[in-house]
Amino acid sequence: MTATTIRATITTPTDREIHIERIVNAPRDRIWRAYAEPALLSQWWGRGNQLDIERMEFTRGGHWRYVEHGPNGIAGFEGRYREVTPPDRFVRSFEWDGMPAHVAIEFVTLTGMGDGRTRITIVMQMHTTAERDGFLHSGMQQGMDASFSELDRLLAADCV
Amino acid sequence: MGAPSRHILYHMVQCSSALDSTFAAVADPTRRGILEHLGRRDASISELAETFAMTLTGMKKHVAVLEHTSLVTTKKEGRVRTCRIGPRMFEREAAWIASFQQMIDDRFDRLEALLERTTDE
Repeated sequence: MTATTIRATITTPTDREIHIERIVNAPRDRIWRAYAEPALLSQWWGRGNQLDIERMEFTRGGHWRYVEHGPNGIAGFEGRYREVTPPDRFVRSFEWDGMPAHVAIEFVTLTGMGDGRTRITIVMQMHTTAERDGFLHSGMQQGMDASFSELDRLLAADCV
Repeated sequence: MGAPSRHILYHMVQCSSALDSTFAAVADPTRRGILEHLGRRDASISELAETFAMTLTGMKKHVAVLEHTSLVTTKKEGRVRTCRIGPRMFEREAAWIASFQQMIDDRFDRLEALLERTTDE
């Protein structure tokens, strides 16, 4: 845990959405490349876990599939690109193998802040509240080590 | 399985009856609908009965199940019993968001580290 971590803002503005915002200390074009180029993407998206970019057709209609090898197992994510507008916006379907055929739509927007930093805004839209909760819950599944204390707390709450 | 897993297992066994009743409470689609509805705004039993096209007696039973597991709380004011989302629902969502947040933060921390490493490209 670093004390100086800049945290993302995560909200659930409606019962079928997750809204994520984070300011990153780098210009927009470099962040775009970090998303667009598999050799770069594989170095960060997996949060330190090995990430295989099995498919990366970064164009409208193209498929993508990432497989993350975490300490507690393998997690696959995939979908298709609906819109790719360099250098600041792409939209894709997003499916986690843990919830097969429950498809979210992910909107990723990069906004330059004029001071060399960039705001990354991610909106995930689901069809139902149950799906949204499932995706939120996927944080627990994927970030297991980091989340054990959360899970403990959740389970402890059931004893009330 | 590491120590944290055993700890969780212990909790799961200890809490299994509470977990069972929670899962039973949310296994029913009408009750999930009620939770969703109350997540947006409080409602009386009769409003809920109307919304879900159900008799008052039927709705009272559903609300009682949810109230038993603290997913919903109710308060009687005069002749009206108002239902609102219970503390357990907020805890659950807060815990999920906290773990999701950890995942997202870890990811963007890595992105920032990568961009720092490659700054002279």
